[in-house]
Amino acid sequence: MRTRGFIVLGVAIVVCALMRSAIGPVSVDGTIKLALSMPAGEILAFRLQSVLSAAMLGAALGLSGLALQSLLRNPLASPFVLGVSSGAGFGVAAVLAGAYLFALPAVTFGGEVGGAIAGALITLAIVAWLGRARVSDGGDHGSGASDPTALVLSGVIVGAIFSAATMLLEQLVPHGLRGDLLSWMAGRLPEIPARSALATVCVSVAVGWIALASQAGALDVASLSDDEARSSGVDLGALRRKLFLVGGILAAVAVAYAGPIGFIGLIGPHIARKLVGSRHGALVPASALAGAALLVSADAVRQWIDLGTGRLPVGVVTALAGGPAFLWLLRSGRWNR
Amino acid sequence: MESLTAPPARAPLLIGENLGLRYGLHGSFHGSSRGGSAAQVVDAVVGVSLTLAEGEILAIVGANGCGKSSLLRVLACLETAPRASGRVEYRELRASARSVAHRLAAVRALVPQRPEATAAFSARQVVRLGRFSVGPDESAVDRALGDVGLLARAELPVNTLSGGERQRIAIARAFAQLDRGGVGGGVLLLDEPFSGIDPGEVARIVTALRMRARAGAVVLTSHDPGLARAIATHAMVMKEGRAIAFGAAGEVLSAKLLSEAYRSPMREVGDWIVPDLTASQSTERGRMRS
Repeated sequence: MRTRGFIVLGVAIVVCALMRSAIGPVSVDGTIKLALSMPAGEILAFRLQSVLSAAMLGAALGLSGLALQSLLRNPLASPFVLGVSSGAGFGVAAVLAGAYLFALPAVTFGGEVGGAIAGALITLAIVAWLGRARVSDGGDHGSGASDPTALVLSGVIVGAIFSAATMLLEQLVPHGLRGDLLSWMAGRLPEIPARSALATVCVSVAVGWIALASQAGALDVASLSDDEARSSGVDLGALRRKLFLVGGILAAVAVAYAGPIGFIGLIGPHIARKLVGSRHGALVPASALAGAALLVSADAVRQWIDLGTGRLPVGVVTALAGGPAFLWLLRSGRWNR
Repeated sequence: MESLTAPPARAPLLIGENLGLRYGLHGSFHGSSRGGSAAQVVDAVVGVSLTLAEGEILAIVGANGCGKSSLLRVLACLETAPRASGRVEYRELRASARSVAHRLAAVRALVPQRPEATAAFSARQVVRLGRFSVGPDESAVDRALGDVGLLARAELPVNTLSGGERQRIAIARAFAQLDRGGVGGGVLLLDEPFSGIDPGEVARIVTALRMRARAGAVVLTSHDPGLARAIATHAMVMKEGRAIAFGAAGEVLSAKLLSEAYRSPMREVGDWIVPDLTASQSTERGRMRS
């Protein structure tokens, strides 16, 4: 099952990457049209860079979603649903607005990442606490599970508060920066990614991947109740601190790079589970690959949509496709196993 | 207390001294310090001491909420200061560079009242998880599955098994954890291990527990004093977090002590101790008349 699952994921990524590389504007009789043709030279290099950019970002979101689902023992968890992306977005907006208001030097990508990480980790701590507090009131006795819907509701509300706070900050900055922030908040893959930014995402994915893969055995045991996991020798406190950092930081880096992109972090790990099973030795790489395949395919789809107003932000595509998938998961109860 | 200590025949495997556990009202992790008001805390376990030697099976009985599960968690070292107090000592715990969690996993295993397996693992995979800290051993997994009578259903997804079968898988996981090359060992801590399990399977598991207790020890909680008396060598009766009796099972599990623990008349019928319904009815009638 596992080998077949990885073959499916590998084929999906290659097909999506080919699609994304082949779709693009061509000049036919003096008019620019979208067409399917494999470019060469600089254009191919440019598009392959876009594929790499989307794949790495998708992998970051897939791994972040898996870490958060394991951390909170909740299959509905993901950076977007829990409001972590909104918190990270607020962090970035706060850094940008702060730099403008206090006439500080221009903010580097590193500064944006720092703001995003602070925002993401604070939001995650608040939402996890709210979910746990609710369960404790219900008499939780060593199971460690959080109430899935209470947690998601907390995430939605905390996310809405941070989104509103971000909009408030947008009002304080000049028109140009406001426009940038607005389109970035919709989830926008950079057309020409800065090398340093892309490198930061790649390194974060590599570190997060290794951190999660090194805990694969403990993550398997942690799917039992808390008491059973601890009785079997898992240091749950240490494991959860790692998951908190990996889940929060990967989501933050993704947001700093491309804005809040929804549902990849939720759907990616679910597709991975269907394809390779629940053991984390396979689930960690599969979640990264599924996230990558999903975001590259969303990026390919948005190339086809030309409304005459420029490319759609990729976040619009992922929300339009991922939102119904989330509702299906919720309605079918498939998240429950 | 009827009997303060049960003199162990052999060197104790487990010693618990003056154990206590204090919960915050809402299960808070810092219940004892939050707010500082005595009304906000619940003493689940108060001043319980016990020793357990190799070959012994201890049954803890008492009414709902008397602190049986809490005591088991304290004995498993799952509760730590400031909530837990007292001293828990496992004779076999070795000093090494490994973490305390790893070292404890080699000397004790807990089966909670409501075992869970959220991931879509097969029964065998869940039992294998018990070997996480002590190293893979497929024959130990097979032995554990055989002991709970689920070897034939080992490859089925655990979430397709019945509640009783899942309970047996959780017991098998603990068996696998403490399996030392076919010999049991360490201390098995089982919270209501027979809930949801049919009598035939109970007999099978009791046999397995006795086998494994030969080189180790077992602590279990039970709501069935008759069953506890049939299985255990020693017993503890708990009431409101305290041990009101601890000693040989045959002596401690008496109708008199259990009537006090359950706050309801109990009587002995052969080897069994059951609620005395006639006494309850006459008490009820008396209450209605008055």
